Amino acid sequence: MTLSGGLSRPGERDRPTIKFMEIDWTFCLVLCLIAGAGALMLFSIAGASWKPWAANHLIRFGLYFIMMVVLAMCDLRWWFMAAYPIYGVGLLLLIAVEAVGDISLGAQRWLSIGGFRFQPSEIMKIGLVLALARYYHGLSADSARMSWRLLIPAGMIAAPVLLVAHQPDLGTAMLIAATGLSIVVLAGLSWRIIIAGIIAVMVAIPPFVMFVLHDYQRHRVMTFLNPEGDPSGKGYQIVQSKIALGSGGLLGKGFGLGSQSQLNFLPEKQTDFIFATLAEEFGFVGCFTVLFLYGAVIFMALRIASISHSHFGRLAAGGTISTFAVYVLINGAMVMGMAPVVGVPMPMLSYGGTVMLTVMIGFGLIQAVRVHRYTEVTSGKGSLV
Amino acid sequence: MSEPSIFFFEVNERQGVFHRRAFLLGGLTGMGLLALGGRLAQLQLVEAQRYQKLSAGNQFNYRLVPPPRGLIMDRNGVSLASNRPNFRLMINKDKGLEAEAVLDDLSKLVPIDGTRRARILKELDRAPRKAPVVVMEDLSWEEFSRVNIRAPELPNVTADMGEVRVYPFGGAFAHVIGYVAKVSDRDLKAAEGDPTQDQDLLHHPGFRIGKQGVEKAFDKELRGRAGATKTEVDSVGRVVRLDPAGDIPPVAGKAIHLTLDADIQNRALEVMGEESGAIVVMDCRTGDLLCMASAPSFDANRFVRGLSGPEYKALAEYERKPLLDKAITGVYPPGSTFKPTVGLAALAAGIDPEIRVNCPGSWYYGGRTWRCHKKGGHGSQNMHEAIKNSCDIYFYQTALKIGPTAIANAARSMGFGQLYDIGIPGQKKGLVPDPAWKKRAFKKNPANQIWFPGETPSFGIGQGALTVNALQLAVMTARLANAKKALVPRLIKSIGGVERPAGSDVPDLPFSPEHLAYVRAGMAAVANDVTGTAYRNSQLGLGDVQMAGKTGTAQVRSYDKGVSRDSKDVRWRLKDHNLFVAFAPYDDPRYAVSVIIEHGGLGGGTAGAPRAREVMRVALLKDPEMRARIEKPAPMPEAVPDDVMEGAAPEEPTVGPPPPAPTTPQGGQL
Repeated sequence: MTLSGGLSRPGERDRPTIKFMEIDWTFCLVLCLIAGAGALMLFSIAGASWKPWAANHLIRFGLYFIMMVVLAMCDLRWWFMAAYPIYGVGLLLLIAVEAVGDISLGAQRWLSIGGFRFQPSEIMKIGLVLALARYYHGLSADSARMSWRLLIPAGMIAAPVLLVAHQPDLGTAMLIAATGLSIVVLAGLSWRIIIAGIIAVMVAIPPFVMFVLHDYQRHRVMTFLNPEGDPSGKGYQIVQSKIALGSGGLLGKGFGLGSQSQLNFLPEKQTDFIFATLAEEFGFVGCFTVLFLYGAVIFMALRIASISHSHFGRLAAGGTISTFAVYVLINGAMVMGMAPVVGVPMPMLSYGGTVMLTVMIGFGLIQAVRVHRYTEVTSGKGSLV
Repeated sequence: MSEPSIFFFEVNERQGVFHRRAFLLGGLTGMGLLALGGRLAQLQLVEAQRYQKLSAGNQFNYRLVPPPRGLIMDRNGVSLASNRPNFRLMINKDKGLEAEAVLDDLSKLVPIDGTRRARILKELDRAPRKAPVVVMEDLSWEEFSRVNIRAPELPNVTADMGEVRVYPFGGAFAHVIGYVAKVSDRDLKAAEGDPTQDQDLLHHPGFRIGKQGVEKAFDKELRGRAGATKTEVDSVGRVVRLDPAGDIPPVAGKAIHLTLDADIQNRALEVMGEESGAIVVMDCRTGDLLCMASAPSFDANRFVRGLSGPEYKALAEYERKPLLDKAITGVYPPGSTFKPTVGLAALAAGIDPEIRVNCPGSWYYGGRTWRCHKKGGHGSQNMHEAIKNSCDIYFYQTALKIGPTAIANAARSMGFGQLYDIGIPGQKKGLVPDPAWKKRAFKKNPANQIWFPGETPSFGIGQGALTVNALQLAVMTARLANAKKALVPRLIKSIGGVERPAGSDVPDLPFSPEHLAYVRAGMAAVANDVTGTAYRNSQLGLGDVQMAGKTGTAQVRSYDKGVSRDSKDVRWRLKDHNLFVAFAPYDDPRYAVSVIIEHGGLGGGTAGAPRAREVMRVALLKDPEMRARIEKPAPMPEAVPDDVMEGAAPEEPTVGPPPPAPTTPQGGQL
C-alpha cells in the first residue's frame, strides 16, 4: 500500500472535504452532459419550451445530483448495514402492491403513501444489488462458484422477480433478474451453471411467450418479429421510430426540426423514444456522441468497481452499473427496432422521475464505492474485507 | 494511486474472479454498444434516403384540388354554364372518429336537422376510411367562418371552398348542356382502370361528373387536371402548416363554345310557354344551330344539388315530359311539312309542276276515300298552289306517280332518317320508309313485307310510318333554303379555342337549283300569299325581310270514322301535333327554323307559325346585315330604278299585300 499525500493518516479519508474531493467529477460531468442532452431534446419536442418537460427534467436532475453527492459521502459500511433492511422493505412493499396497489394501464405497479406515488420495484433494483453484494461479501470464491449456498441468492432474486412479473411488469422483472444475475456472474458463478442456464432459458422462451405472457405482451413480441405486418397498429411505434432514426441521416434535421417527433408521429417521444427524437434532430453524429457518453459512464463505473478493496463495494458498483448498461442496451435496441417494445426508458435522457431517481441513487452508491474504496468492510462472520 | 497488493489468497481469488468477470461484462457491454452504433450507421447512413422519403410521406400530405370545370358559352361568349364558389363542410372518416359527438358540436354552429343527421351518419358508415363525407353545402359566409374559427377543436371537420356548377339560364339550355351530378357507383365502375381518368379526382367529394348533353359528351375535356395543395400534417392528419411553394395548381377544363345563341334560345323557350315541343334554328349558310330548345324544360341547377325522390318523380311523370329532349329525341310524323320534299322528289322524277290535279275535297283510291283537309276541295291545283294550300289530293296523286322509293331517296337527301354528329347523345333517327325497309322490318311476317299501294299516298303527305325529329326538319329547311349544299348541323363551335369543322363543308344537294327554287317559291306563298296556309301568322313585320314556310299537322289518331278534327274539346294527349318549318329572308335565306308543338292542335299555322315568327325575328334582328337591311327599307321602295339590277327575285306575287284576308283557311291541313 503506497501512502500518498495527506490521505495516509488514519481517519483522514473520513473527512467530508476529502470525501467530496474523492468523488469522480469526470464521471459527474458525463452524467450532466447526458441529462443536459435529455433536457435539450425535451425542450425541442415541447416546441422550444421549457414546459412541460425540460425544466422539470433539469430540476429533478439537480436535486438528485445533490442527493447523489450526499449518498456518495455515506460510509460504505452504512450501505453494508442498510443492505438487508432495504431489500426487506422493498420486498414488503412489493407484497403490499400485490394487495392494495393502484392499477394503471392494466398493471399493478404503483403504491401511494401519503399522496406520494412510487413503484416499489424501483427500490428493489437498489435493494437487490445491496443485498446480493452483502451476501457474496461473506462468501468464499468456491462457494460463489458452485454450492448449496447459492440457493439463497437464487431465492433473493426470484422473490422480487416473481412479484414484479405478477403485477404484471415483465420489463422490470427482467431488468431485476438481469441485475441479480449479473452480480451472481460477477461474483464468480461456475461457467457450467451459466451455460446450462442460458440453454435452459433458450428452451423455455417459446412456450413462455405462448402460454405465460399476457396478450398485450405477446403482441409486442410478435410485433417486434414482424413490425411491418401492421404498421398503423401494433407495429406503429417501431416503424415510426425507425423512420425518425433513419431520416435523421448523418447530421440530423436540426434542432427543433424533427418532423416525426414534432408532429407526433413518434409515440412516447418524451420518454421511451426520446433517443429517436435525438437521432432525428442530431443525426448519426449526435447519437454516436450520446452512445459514447453512455459507454464512458459504464466503463468508468466498471473501473470504480474494480479498484474497490472490498468485495461488497466491487459487487455493488458492478451490479448497479450492469443494471444501467442493460437499460441503455435494451432501450437502444428497442428504438432501433432490434428488440420488442418494452417499457424501458433511456436512463438520464428520458423524461420520468422514478427511473432517474433510481439511477441516481445507483450512481450515489457507485460514487460511495469509489470514495470509500479503501474502507474495510467487515463481514458478518468477522472475516476481513 | 497504487493498488494494495497484500491480501489473503481467498480474497485475491475473489478479486481475480471479479476482475475477469467485470472485464468480460464490460466487453459484452462494449459489443452491445458497438452493435447499436452499427445499427445506427445502417439506419442513418446507409438507408437514410429511404427513411427520409418515408418521413416526408408522413409529414406532407398532398390534398387534391379539383380543377375548375371548363365554361360553356354560346356563340357570342355568353356564359351558359359556369362555376360559383361553394362553401362546404365535410367530416373526414379518420380513425377514432366519434361521429355523434362531432355532429353534436357542429349542430351548435350550423343547422343540422334530424334527417340530415341520419343521412350523414349513414354515409359515414358506408364511406371508406379517410374519405370525407359532405355535411352541408352552400354555407353562408357567417356559417363558414364560424366553423373555420373553431377548426382546431374539430379535428375531423374540414370547411373548405369548392366550386359548384351553375347554369345562369336555368332551363333554357338544360337539354343541350345537360347537367353535372355526383359521381355514381356506376360511373366509378366504368372509369375503373381507365388511365385517362384521374381516379382520385373521381373520388373527391367536390367533383361532379357530366350526366347529360354537352356536360356528358365532353366531360373529359371540361374536367381539366386536378392540382394539389401541399400541407404539413401531424400524426392525426391535422394541418399544421401550408406549403404554398409545393402546391401544384389545377388546370382548368377547356372552355366550350356552342353555336347556340342565348337570346334566340331564351326567346324560343319563352314563346313555347306552357306548350310541349321543340324549336330548332339553323344557319342556312353554315349549318350552325342557333337554337335547339325543348319545352317544357327543367332547371339543371336542381340536378347539380341533387334531386329528391319526389322532385324527380314529378319531373319524370309529368305527361309533357320535361326530361325528354324533343328537339332530337322526340320523333314525330312530319305531316305536311314533308310536302316540299315530295315536291322536290316529283320534280326530280320529271313531273311537270304545271300539270294540274283537280281537288274535289276527296278522292277514291284503293278501296277507300282519301280526304283533303279542305272539305270542299281546292279545285284545280298545280304544284305551286298545292304547296301553298297544302293540298292533300295533289300530293296523294303525285306520290302515287313517282312511287315510294323516289320519295324516300329525296327525303334522305334532304336530311331525314339519319343522325348528325352534333356532339351530344340522344338523337333518334326517325324512319324514312320504303319497300326495302319493309322487307327488313317485317322479317317475321312475310305478309307485311310488301309495300302496299295504299301506303304511298300517306307517305306523300308525311304520314304513315314516316317519322322525323325537329333537328331533321330544320336541316331539311336549311338545305332547301341554302339551295346548294347538303348542310349538316353543328352544335359545338369550338373546344378549348379549337374550332370544329363547319357544317357547310359538305357535298351539294342532288337537286337542280331550278327545282329547289320552285319549291321555295311555293313555301314563300304559304307565308306571304294571302291565301297561304300560314299567311297571317308569318308576317315578321320587318319590312321587306320576309319568311317562307310550310305548315304541318301530324295526326296522332285516326279520323276515318268521320270524327271531327276540331280539337278544341279533345284531351291534350289526343290532339294533333302542330308543325311549322320556315326560313327567312325568303329572297336571301339566312336562318331556317323548325317548330314542333306536341298536341298543338289542328293547323301548323296556328301554333307553330307564330312561334317560328317570334324566334325568327330575334335571329334576324341580331344579324347586323339583316338589321341594316331592315332599318334601311323606308326609302327603298321609292328608289326603284336601282332595284332593276337585282330585281330577279320578286317575281312571285308576294311582296306583302295588305292583310284583309277574309278567306284565310282556318283550321289547317293534313
